[in-house]
Formats: sequence, structure tokens, C-alpha cells
Amino acid sequence: MTINRRQFIATMASTALLAGNRVSLAQGSGIFRIGAPNCITGAGAAYGTGMQKMLQAGVEAVNAAGGAAGLKFEVATEDTQTQPQAAVLAVKKLIEVNKVQALLGIWSSGESLATLPLANDADLLFMNTSGAPALSVPPANAKGLSYRFQATNDRFGRAFAEIAEKEGFKRPATMAFNNASGIGNTEGFRKAWEKKGGKVVEAVVYEPNQSSYRSELQKVLAAKPDVIVTGSYIADTTIILREWYQTGDTQKWIIPGWAANSDLIKAIGPEVAEGIVSVESVSNEGSDAFKAYDAAYQKAMNAPGLGNAYAAMAWDMVIVLALAIEAAGKADTAAINAKIREIANPPGKAVATFAEGKAALKAGKINYEGASSALDFDECGDVTPDFSMSAIEKGKLVRKYVVKI
Amino acid sequence: MTGFLELLVAGLTSGLVVGLAALAVTLVFGVARFGNATTGDAMSLGAYVAFAGANATGSLIAGSAIGVATGALVGAASYLLVFRRLVGRSAVTALLASIGIGLFIRAGIGLAFGHQQKTFQLPLVRPWRIFDIRLHPNDLNLAVVAILALAVTFFVLHGTPVGRRMRAVADDLSLARVSGLAPARVMIALWLLAGAVTSVAGIMLGIKAVITPEMGWEMLLPAFAAVILGGIGHPVGAVVAGILLGTVQEMSTPFVGFTYKIAISFLVLLLALLLRPQGLFGRVEGAR
Amino acid sequence: MEAYIIAIAIVTAIYVLLALGLNLQYGLTGLINFGHVGFFCVGAYVAALLSKHQVSPLVAFPVAALLAGLAAWPLGVVSLRLREDYFAIVSLGFSEVVRLVATSERWLTNGVQGISGIPKLMDGLVPRAAEPAAVLALLVAVNLGAILMMRRIANSPFGRVIEAIRDNEEAVKSLGKDPAGFKMKVLMLGAALAGIAGAFYAHYISFISPEQFVPLVTFQIWMAIIMGGVGRVSGALVGTLILMFFLEGSRFLRDIVPFIPDVEMASIRLGVVGLAIVLFTLYRPQGLMGDFTRR
Repeated sequence: MTINRRQFIATMASTALLAGNRVSLAQGSGIFRIGAPNCITGAGAAYGTGMQKMLQAGVEAVNAAGGAAGLKFEVATEDTQTQPQAAVLAVKKLIEVNKVQALLGIWSSGESLATLPLANDADLLFMNTSGAPALSVPPANAKGLSYRFQATNDRFGRAFAEIAEKEGFKRPATMAFNNASGIGNTEGFRKAWEKKGGKVVEAVVYEPNQSSYRSELQKVLAAKPDVIVTGSYIADTTIILREWYQTGDTQKWIIPGWAANSDLIKAIGPEVAEGIVSVESVSNEGSDAFKAYDAAYQKAMNAPGLGNAYAAMAWDMVIVLALAIEAAGKADTAAINAKIREIANPPGKAVATFAEGKAALKAGKINYEGASSALDFDECGDVTPDFSMSAIEKGKLVRKYVVKI
Repeated sequence: MTGFLELLVAGLTSGLVVGLAALAVTLVFGVARFGNATTGDAMSLGAYVAFAGANATGSLIAGSAIGVATGALVGAASYLLVFRRLVGRSAVTALLASIGIGLFIRAGIGLAFGHQQKTFQLPLVRPWRIFDIRLHPNDLNLAVVAILALAVTFFVLHGTPVGRRMRAVADDLSLARVSGLAPARVMIALWLLAGAVTSVAGIMLGIKAVITPEMGWEMLLPAFAAVILGGIGHPVGAVVAGILLGTVQEMSTPFVGFTYKIAISFLVLLLALLLRPQGLFGRVEGAR
Repeated sequence: MEAYIIAIAIVTAIYVLLALGLNLQYGLTGLINFGHVGFFCVGAYVAALLSKHQVSPLVAFPVAALLAGLAAWPLGVVSLRLREDYFAIVSLGFSEVVRLVATSERWLTNGVQGISGIPKLMDGLVPRAAEPAAVLALLVAVNLGAILMMRRIANSPFGRVIEAIRDNEEAVKSLGKDPAGFKMKVLMLGAALAGIAGAFYAHYISFISPEQFVPLVTFQIWMAIIMGGVGRVSGALVGTLILMFFLEGSRFLRDIVPFIPDVEMASIRLGVVGLAIVLFTLYRPQGLMGDFTRR
């Protein structure tokens, strides 16, 4: 098959140009455009689609209530593949081609660290769900445009420590997946535990993608801990727990909620899972905002909204942004930024949806209580959600109590 | 001391899985003369099909049989569609083509089965304790399967006419052709065998760990290292080298830590190649 | 729109530099280097760390190239004597070891947390808005420089020995030349080019972590040079363009085929890449521009 080289290259070039032209949108007046660089594929794939759908659902809800400050909302979506490099290109496209005015729904720390500088340069608000502590402070957050809707890894670790103390454990050991999130969790735990006067008897960091973690487990068990705290993901947790059960040892486990969920129970079976403590930053499940979010999530994804805490955060991102724009009266980033804490933090009339908040703004100050948490942003743009302690009993996750840190 | 023995057992079992994968690679390497990177994703495929089969039929054995058969067919198909036409080209070309096929298979797995992890539902048993060392029945099964696979391979290669022809082709392709052997038929038999072993390796890995789309790809590098260490084309060498590398890796952890232990396999491989380039069991090759 | 195209152009130019280095090693010497991303990683980390210590890029870039080239030396020493597919596996192991070192040595590389906040390359030298275009211009210049250098090497006595080694190593040995020494120089040169690419990458992405330097990157570059055509500079260029087309083009695919859910799109993209590799090796093994290693 002979390909005429020149024809081939010419065809590709014109395709690229055509594709580019198709996508560039005119900057219309009366429209506020949100950029959604979400992790549809890659390590975050389990959450990315739900997040993107909830951003779109949130926008629908805002438009149904008449928009904010007279502007209708639109969403431009991209897939970041949960990779920093792909995220940079995705965000570049959103900023340059789609001309978005805010970036919502960036999931992993790597992606956020790589793309926040782009948002800073373009002067755009940046709402993410990443855990890395570096995102709170300069140089990353030098302009104060970043808002984090998920607890930092540090806070997770502190929650682990509170729960471990409450359950009466004395000799904890940690096992961490060797990435920023896993280590962030266990380091946060260690710091909080040592502040309480305790000592971590053993800390192991393990490499991902192995078929067995026996030797790592062995080292931890040799220190005879009464509880093992992990910063892990579901695949490695499955293997580790299976191998642990087969050692016959009897300690307890405290595992983050994204690893200790119904999929884990399905994988290792109720007998092995019995007694495992799962810790999750609690969505504000009792709240009216959560009800609104849950309804939208069920409609879009045919699954309970509880299953994807990040989707609840995505929903909240749109509402918070919209309320801030409504309060500011215009689509200027600095003006909007000034209003975010005003509408999300106390004091103020508690509101649970955009429509409610928009009406209440006419009367005075509001305080949006979100679906993912109460959303009280501190000076770094971080939230401190509550954390739930659930134990697996007879093959089901049972919520026991909530810790505040 | 117990600690070291436990590490030894851990190394033996993880080495067995590597050894099985290496067996599949070395068969193709020896006869078709290139490193078949499709082995990784074919392993994943074997595990997924076995999983689906076990769910459909309710029996792990039946599911595994389906998985092994699928693996054999995929192996033969990859030969007939692609590798047969790459004979005579450089080893890199075939290697790259095999990577392409692997990616294609992985895409198919993603579309057919999704990206969530899957696990074989096996009854969990407490291990036996011998001299304070924990020995798990599952690991013993693994060893038995590996020995069986090796035995079957050996039997085919040395005890059957087609196996004899395979070894002849491995030794000298042109001579074999001149002597009237029909390489195409021999090669199909070889690829069926290699594909079956690949599936077995994938299923055992899936049983030991979890089934994910990337599981086989992650196993490729250790498998290749074991193939080279054991001597290319030597089934026993591949399995022994796999066990050796796994064992050294795990036993090195008290000294180098859990991150660098992965580098140990390469170190061992490198040293071996410098001291004995033909591998543990390989013969010294004349200039080709 | 232009800014987006410049962004893609910058990433493409970085990949072209990587492809040129690999092409030098494989196309000219027949070295099957599966560890190219290791040199990329070394260059990126050196540039990032030096920039954090306020060292000027004028110093940092050459240092990055130098250290990346030197990193190739131990690889060369132990493995140039091995046959080509052994060298491939060992080089792959080498790049994985580099990644493990970056993961483990927290005191040096900040481990898995990575290094963030790497400043833009031309900060302060040009107005903010023009910075990407300036970086692109510099990258193009560096690429041209690399191409010119490679042309001169190819036409020099050194270059002729290299090609002779690729074509018939025994004959070269019989003439009294030592192939290993030549191969080593080429390996180090290609590695140095990858190091420079890494330095540009670090400044552009502004956040580097060990998980960005996985073997997949090496294989993407291999795909590029195979598809473009080995042994010729235009091959590296065209091949990289094709690669970027596949990697970025699927973004726009969604506008053309909107009914496919995004999750499936990732699998489809992977499948298309795999199929493309297979088809190229079957039907157009010399790549688009022709294989100039077989005369």
C-alpha cells in the first residue's frame, strides 16, 4: 500500500485545523463558561465521570433558577486522564480554545499542582478535590484562587488519629501506598498521634502494582501492632488484607473510605472484612443540599449519591461559584473571589440550594451548607469536613459515629 | 531466622508466578526468536476470561479451562495474523508489533470488562504452620500448577513429534525447512502451547492477587528478566530463574528496603549477564 | 486558539528532541535503547532542582545535558557488550532504577510528592504573554541545532564508523576500531539530548514527579520513530507529529463521535494506537519517511 506522503500530511493538517475551528466558541455576552478538566480515565476514573455529570447537573439547576447575576452557565469538559501532563494540555485547551472563566473539578494532587499555575496566570478560580498540602500555600496558591473541597491528606491523618484514640488502640503501625496521597495520610496520622503523646510502632511504604505484599506485611506484623492504619487503594488493600487474614493475626485495620468500600467487601468476603474500620470525609448527608445533589446524581448516574463523595463536591463547586457571582453582581474573578467566603461561611442565613440562596441574598448574608460538607473555607481555601467512622459488620458498612477535627 | 524463612517463602511464591510468565515468553523467544510483549496483556485476558467463565459456569476449573483455551487461540491468532508476516525482520519490529497487539487486547478488555478490579472467589483458609513458618495451601497449589505446566511443556517438547520439530526449528530454521519440516504447522502448535501457558500464568496471578487490566503488563519486565537469566529458550531455566529472582528480591528487603527491592532483579540479571551471558542454562551460541 | 497551538507545539518539540536522541542511538548505531525516559528524568530533575536554588537556566541546562549524558555511561559500560535484545531489557531496567531512585531519595527529589513551582523558563526576560512563544522559539532553535549536529556527525569520519558498526560490526573490529567506544559516545550524546528535553519539560509543566517518567514514555517515542521512519531526521519529526496527533487528536474525536462515553474513549484510543503500531510494522515498516538504515 503506497501512501502518498504529501497527501497524507496535508490531510492530517487540515483535519487538525478543522477540528480546532469546530471547537472554538465565540465569547457570548450573558454567558458564564465553566471549564471542567476531569479525570474520566486513569486512576481517578471511578470518580471523574460522576463529577463531570454533577458539574453539568449543577449548571442546569443554576440556569433553571434564572442564572447568576443575569448570566447563564455553560460547561466545557475535557478528560485529563489523571495525568499531570495531559491535564496541562486539557486546561490549556479549555482556557485558550473554549475561553472558560473558571476551572472546576480537578481531582488528583498531581494534576492540581501542574495546572494551578495556569489558572493563576489566566486569573481564574480553581476548585479542586486534591489532598496535597502544597496546594494550600504559596507558591502554588499565591493568588488565593484555589479552593479545596476535600480534606487535605493531613486532616485525614488527624481523623485517623482521633478514631484510633477513641477506639482505645495503643500500638498503631502504618502501611502507605507509595504516592503523595498514601504517604500524606500516614504522615498526617503519625504527626497527630505523636502530638497525643503516642508512638507509631512501625511504618512501611510499599510500591504499587505488585502481586504480593507479604514481606511488607511481615515487617509490620513483626512489631506487634494492635491496629494498622493505611493510606492505600482498593487493589493493594485487597491483596494485603487477604494475605493478612492468612497469617492468622488479629489486629484491627483503619482504612480510608475510597479503599474500604462495598467493592472491597465483595473482593475479600465478609469474613476477612469483619471489623475493618473505614474512614471517609462525611458528606453532609443530613442536609437539604445533599438531598438536592442525591436526586440529581441518581438521575444522571443511576446510583446512590453516597457512592461518590467527589461528585457531591463537584455539585457544591457550581453552587458556591454561582452564589458568589450572584453576590458579586458580575463575572470578574477578583469580585467573585471576594464573595466566596461570604456566601459559604457563617454567619448568615443557612441555604441549601442555589435558588434558595439567590432569593435569600436579596435579604442579607447567607451561608451555603453544602452537600459534601458545611463548606467553611479557611484562609487557605481549605475545608475541614467531619469524618465518619464506619465498621464492616457481617458484610455491610455500618456508620458508627462522626469525628470532628 | 523465622523472618528470613518467611521471606524465602514469600519470594518462592511470587517467583513462581514470574516463572510461569517467563515460561510462556521463553517458548516463543526460543522458537520464534523474539521477545513477545503481548504475553503480558494475554495473561490479563486469560484471567478475565477465566473469571467470566467461572462466574458463568459456577466452577473455577471450568472457567480456567475456557481461559486456557482462549489463550491458546489468541496466541495462534497473533501468529497467523501478524507474527508470521514479520519473519526475517529485526527482533525489534516483532517486539514493537507485539506491544501493539498487547495494547489492542488491553483496549478490548477495558471495553468488555470495565476498569474495576475483579477477584476470583476462592474460599479462604487459614495457613498451615510448619516450624513457625506459614505455608498456605494456595501457594502449594501454585507450585503444583507451575510444575504441571513445566511437565506438560517438557512432555510436548521432548516426547511428541511436533515438539521435536519445534526444537529443530529453534535450533536452526533454515536447516529445518530444508529437511522438509512444515514450519507453519509447527509454529501454530508452538503458539497454541505458549498461549495456553500464558493463560495459566495469568489465572494463577489473578488468583494470587487481583484481576486488573494492567496486571499482565506489570509482570512483563520481571518475566523478561527471568527469561534472559535462565537462558533464552530454556523452559526449566525460565522457571528456575523466576523463582531465583523472586526469592532474591524478597530476601533483600531487610537490606535495601521495599522500594529498591524491585531494582534487585535487574542487578542480579546484570551480574549474571556479565558473568555468564548465555544465562544459567543456556548454551554458548556461536556467531549467527 | 493560538496559545493552545503553541502549547501543543511546545510539547511536540520536546518529544521531537527525545525522538532525535533515540534516532541517533538506534538509527545510527542500532542500539535498542528502551531506557530513554531515564535520561529524560535525569534532565528534568536536574533542571528543577537547580532552578529551585536560583541557578540560571544558562548554567542549569548544560548541566542537565551533561549529567544525563554521564548517566548513560554506567549503562554503556556494562551493557554495550551484550547482544541487542539483552541491552534492550537492561536499559529498560536502568530507566526503572532511575525512577525508583527519584521515588526513594526524598532528601534529594522530594520523593513521590514531586517538585512543584518550577519557574517558567523566560520569566523576567520577556513579557508574560509572550513567554510561551519565546520558549517555543528557543525549543525550535535547540532542535535545529541538534539536527545540524547530527548531520555533521553523520557526514564525519566518526559518523561513517558509526554506520559501519551498525552495518557490520565484525568488519569494523577487524579494521582495528573499537566499536564499544563509538557506541558509548553515541549513547551518551542521545542521552544528553534527552536531558535537555527533560529540562524544557520541567520548566514547562512546572511540576514533576517520578510517576511521569514511566517506560510508557519511552515506548511512545519508539512508536514515533518507527512510524516516521528510522535513521532519518525527517522521520523523527514526522513520527512525532503523528504521535501527537494520536495523543491530542482524540480530544477532538469526541466532537466528531459524541455518542461514545468518555470512559470507553480511553480504551478506544488505546486500541487505535495498538492497531496503528501493528499496521505500521506490517505494511509500512520503513515508516512514513523511509528507513534509511537499510541501504
